[in-house]
Amino acid sequence: MAVYRRSYKPYAGTLTPEWSRFLVLFRYSRRSVFRSKVQTGLFVICFFFPLACLILIYLAHSASFLAKIGIPAQILSIDSKFFFRFMSVQGALAFLLTAFVGPGLVSPDLANGALPLFFCRPFSRSEYVLGKSAVLAVLLSEITWIPGVILFVMQASLAGASWAWSNLWIAGSLILSSLLWIAVLSLLAMALSAWVKWRIVAGALLLAVMFFGAGFGQAVNAVLRTDFGYFFNLPYLMGTVWIALFQVDMEQAISITQAWVAILVYCTVCLWLLLRKVRAYEVIR
Amino acid sequence: MNDRIIFEDVSKFYGEILGVNRVNLSIPPGITSLVGPNGSGKTTLMNLMTGLVKPSRGQIHVLGNRTDDPESLFKVVGYSTQFDAFPKGLTGFQFLFSYLMVSGRPSSEAQRLAWQAIERVNMGEAAHRNVASYSKGMRQRIRLAQALAHDPKVLVLDEPLNGLDPLARAEMIALFRSAASQGCYVIISSHILHEVDIISDQVVLLSNGYVVAEGQIQNVRSEIQEHPSQIMIRCNRPRELAAKMFTSEQAIEVSIHKDERGLLLKTRDADRFYLALNELALNGIEIESIAPADDDVLSVYEYLIGSEEVVR
Repeated sequence: MAVYRRSYKPYAGTLTPEWSRFLVLFRYSRRSVFRSKVQTGLFVICFFFPLACLILIYLAHSASFLAKIGIPAQILSIDSKFFFRFMSVQGALAFLLTAFVGPGLVSPDLANGALPLFFCRPFSRSEYVLGKSAVLAVLLSEITWIPGVILFVMQASLAGASWAWSNLWIAGSLILSSLLWIAVLSLLAMALSAWVKWRIVAGALLLAVMFFGAGFGQAVNAVLRTDFGYFFNLPYLMGTVWIALFQVDMEQAISITQAWVAILVYCTVCLWLLLRKVRAYEVIR
Repeated sequence: MNDRIIFEDVSKFYGEILGVNRVNLSIPPGITSLVGPNGSGKTTLMNLMTGLVKPSRGQIHVLGNRTDDPESLFKVVGYSTQFDAFPKGLTGFQFLFSYLMVSGRPSSEAQRLAWQAIERVNMGEAAHRNVASYSKGMRQRIRLAQALAHDPKVLVLDEPLNGLDPLARAEMIALFRSAASQGCYVIISSHILHEVDIISDQVVLLSNGYVVAEGQIQNVRSEIQEHPSQIMIRCNRPRELAAKMFTSEQAIEVSIHKDERGLLLKTRDADRFYLALNELALNGIEIESIAPADDDVLSVYEYLIGSEEVVR
């Protein structure tokens, strides 16, 4: 039997707070997103429309300039419909960006068997999911509600305090609708990439869930002469919520409550799928 | 309990498939090797020890830490899996640095520890190269570095010598010994039995999910009664010694070495045999050396598990 000197001295220094460790994952994953020129390019493109909106807001308050180029000032009305349109365009871009970025977050770790390396640290599955989804959350925030709020502030500063106070709810709607869309996209993208380890296939599957889901929903509606098909149509469900949040006058086939419940069910299923796969070891029976 | 790795009646089933069953172990400091054929439960035992899989039954405590409390467990445990797995796109240094950050070390401390671990596995020159460009041996070494970077007291290493060249193996074995000599717990699984024999203070033999034997290898060997102990004796008159041994009923089988300068003897009671040998040595037979021929891991493995899976 060996005789041990027992000279081992454990680390006695301070540790970073537990809550902050998911940020390490966030930092590294975000850096890897911008290593791709396509993703960086797409991210930049996502700012073109907010920039155009910014110019429109400025023009809407430049009556003399509009008169000079012969455009009636009434055409450029900055109201909830304007922000709804902004949200619709940015939402579509957010989806496109997610289709590129999302599948690359979890699937490489699963394909490379790197999960045991994460989980043999003081690091939980929830923190892993949080760290990875934070990448999408921040990225999509940067192209949805953050520019949206900037546009709102710009409009408020030009239109005056009374407009700002009476339309403050629009800012709330912008933030809430963006966060909801971000949550759905992040969970869906990560769940799919966890189950389909091949990144390209996971991206294609995300597109399929959106577009084929919508097509399937329409087919169900047409064949069964019902409205239940809309529950397979995620963009439609989200559109229903947004229409309600922005108080836009548009007819929808399903109620706002039904849309909320359906979205919640989608999120829960995605989270369940995700947590089933994000494990140190996959047990194959 | 706080200075041991304890398994109390631990079983792990993957559905209907047995991982390990009714494991009771108390692992002291030093180098402990888990030995067994493929599918015997070595990796499951390591995953249980590190909390990566939960036991279906029983309890595990690592130096008093519960395995379902990663915050306290991974302050004292470092794990290197057998899988050639790395997150994509990181250099060797980034790999260690990022995982130290995840472990809660502040940035400056993480940098220092990462470099220290890189130096310990002699990877200094390749530290800024992408892990994907490393050779198999280099990847094995950087994986070892990530396990020991945060200075854990318990090192759990699954097949740590796989893919290493002889020089690197010697360096790693020296590293394990150095850790063990400081009072650390080094748990190793390996198929390479002669290396296990050289480095281990104690072994745990596994077969089909059950612990077949555990402890210091000599003690395990002495417990195996159905296989007589084999002793190699080098002497000047081996035939005469063999005859006397049969007469004193200490030997049950003897074979003379082909150079006629020694004999291999089998006995059921090694202690009584050694006493008898003392008397014979006093009667004019010059004995040059006596050495047990089968109290190594290889022999114990063959006796308890079978020779089919032995890797020499």
